[in-house]
Amino acid sequence: MRFKASIQNISTFTKLTASLNSLGPLAWVKLSEEQVCFTIIPEQGTQVWAVLSIDTIFETYTIQSAAQNIINLEVPLNSLNRALKSALNATSAQIRLTKKDNIPLLALTIVTTSSTSSRGAFPPGGNNYEDGFETSTFDSGFGQSRETVITQEVPVRVLSPDLVAGLHEPQCREPDVHIILPPLMQLKSISDRFTKLALAGGKSASGTTASHRTRLEMAANMHGCLKMSIRTDAMSISSVWTDLSNPELDPSQVAGGEIGIAEHPSTRMKQLGSADGRSEEGWAMVRIDGRDWGKVMSVGRLGGRVIACFCHEHALILYVYLPNENGEEESVLTYYVSSYSA
Amino acid sequence: MDDDENLFDQDVPIFSAVSSSARQLYSLLRCIGFADKANVQISDEGLRFSVDETSVMEGFVFLDKSLFTTYAYRAPPASSHTHDSNHSQGSDDEDSSNPTFQISLPSLLETLQIFGLTDQQSTSRAPWSHSTYQTATATAFAPNTIGFNNLCRLYYSTLGAPLTVILTESTIRTTCDLTTYEPQYIEDIPFSRQSIVLKIIMRASWLFDAVTELASTNPEHLTLIAREVKGRSIFALAASGPLGSATVQFNKNPSSTSTSTSYQNTRHTSTVPDDHQPPDPHLLETFQLSYPHSTLRYTYKFSLIQKAARAMAVATKVSVRGDDQGVLSLQFMIEGEGGNVSFVEFHFVPLAKEEHEDGYEEEGDGQDRMHIPHNMHALPLRFHIHFVSQATKPASKAAEYPAI
Repeated sequence: MRFKASIQNISTFTKLTASLNSLGPLAWVKLSEEQVCFTIIPEQGTQVWAVLSIDTIFETYTIQSAAQNIINLEVPLNSLNRALKSALNATSAQIRLTKKDNIPLLALTIVTTSSTSSRGAFPPGGNNYEDGFETSTFDSGFGQSRETVITQEVPVRVLSPDLVAGLHEPQCREPDVHIILPPLMQLKSISDRFTKLALAGGKSASGTTASHRTRLEMAANMHGCLKMSIRTDAMSISSVWTDLSNPELDPSQVAGGEIGIAEHPSTRMKQLGSADGRSEEGWAMVRIDGRDWGKVMSVGRLGGRVIACFCHEHALILYVYLPNENGEEESVLTYYVSSYSA
Repeated sequence: MDDDENLFDQDVPIFSAVSSSARQLYSLLRCIGFADKANVQISDEGLRFSVDETSVMEGFVFLDKSLFTTYAYRAPPASSHTHDSNHSQGSDDEDSSNPTFQISLPSLLETLQIFGLTDQQSTSRAPWSHSTYQTATATAFAPNTIGFNNLCRLYYSTLGAPLTVILTESTIRTTCDLTTYEPQYIEDIPFSRQSIVLKIIMRASWLFDAVTELASTNPEHLTLIAREVKGRSIFALAASGPLGSATVQFNKNPSSTSTSTSYQNTRHTSTVPDDHQPPDPHLLETFQLSYPHSTLRYTYKFSLIQKAARAMAVATKVSVRGDDQGVLSLQFMIEGEGGNVSFVEFHFVPLAKEEHEDGYEEEGDGQDRMHIPHNMHALPLRFHIHFVSQATKPASKAAEYPAI
């Protein structure tokens, strides 16, 4: 079992692990010859199934295993994220699967270069040492620059193919409405305020702390409108975005081709509602937890286009397409948010 | 108004107003933001928000109709049958028919704050934001460019309906329905404008500085002391608590100039900018005492006075008034965008006087306490801080302020 790769996009990898970490502490990482999959299945809340093309984060990628060259790992995201953070200013970083005292590890080798103009100011062998990290310094000998190599070790668990065989991506019926979301950071700032409002309203309502969870209602129609609302005893508030776009379905991707599209639920939803968002009809709505939603929105830091698919009163599926250097969006993060019943 | 008579149907809302600055409404209402619920009264002149704290403190904010770009109010028919016979003009209706209700103040404040959130997002555009979003908002006819942005609409359709706040910003429209509750009729604190014994007008920021300074000793009580000695006006705030006592004294000294001490200069820089007129050489713009030869001394709960700190911080001027019962009125003048002026007012009930202590003290008695060292005359603002250890704390209240 061998895995070795150099990380070509450290900042993307760091942001990805940070936003995945907000949803759950452990990720199932599936490394194969074509792609890297990150899957978070928390006990409750939102599931993430991320499929990344190799070159989104890695280059010079080598993988070997007895099971069709596939390696399944359970990775603690917090440790991985912390290790990656120390690589943010690195000139190069490598990751490989190794073993130490019979414990499998992901070893991150980070090379940083510091110029020696500050040679007089800092004593040689600086204070790059951190607890638990092996640090070794080399002097280039020419006195021009100093290379520092940091190795960070993240203990992982290797998962057998049988163990992950039972894990499947959630199945969902065809969505009623699909829409491109406004910038997630904007959406998050408003949803966070809504959550705060609900908490403030709940507090003043004679101390009824029965509903700790704040139920956010998200709805969208096929006319470019997105609605987010929350209701408490003291108030009800809703924000409506208009002029968003509903992407056209690709006949090659829909079961049944052109006929499939004609019978697709979203085609029927197009007949209902209006573009100003004032009509009561044509909305596909889900009820979600405000705090959980805030965590999902943290993926906004990765940028990228987000398409939300609404299955009325059932589930909300977000497809986050990561921008690639060659302009092709091959990497996609899929978030499954299930709706609460009323 | 005549048109309103003809349109006497249910479709016309009682109240509807549009403001182009939710931020200004927010900054005014935040002055009374310490309360959970606020009473709102709608009238021809504007909206009156009032809050109260255990019936010993009241706060009022008046949102004058001049703060709104449009303001339409139609008094609801008090009782439709009696009014049908004599069609009196709507404006002649007595005050009692003006709708009054209660709303959740934190909810309103949070809603008004939603405004501008997306503004910030677009100005300080995050480096990770995708380029496809920028093209959507950056066209020449985008609401941002034309100026249709930043609209806040208030709406109250009929008695018992929710108070609706609608905020519009580029392509986002936020609607908030605030549940209106039956108002709690609490008797207003009786502040007698006919028998005012003290009136001081000063910069609000100085009062803010003084209260902030005094708060550091975590006091329980705040005593307001005012008197005139040999033509000089003296106004002091004394705080006492378990850790000791502290006094801030404002002297109105006609002979002193603004450059008399460096300390005063630093005061001026910390105040609200007031560029068109030179700094006032007098600390107290107005100082009026009905009985100038005796010392006026009223005590209030410090924590209540502190609740007005938000208003002290944003206001330009404050009018401090006391009536003969010791009820204190702090009226703050707040200058808004475009030079319009709003007022926020607070009323406080004094603490009961201790045994023989009276609001006024005898001339001779006061003379000793108000003794001021000669070399301090030029100092317009003085701080006296006395730390009293728990063991040696004097029993009598008067002894705590020996320097005054």
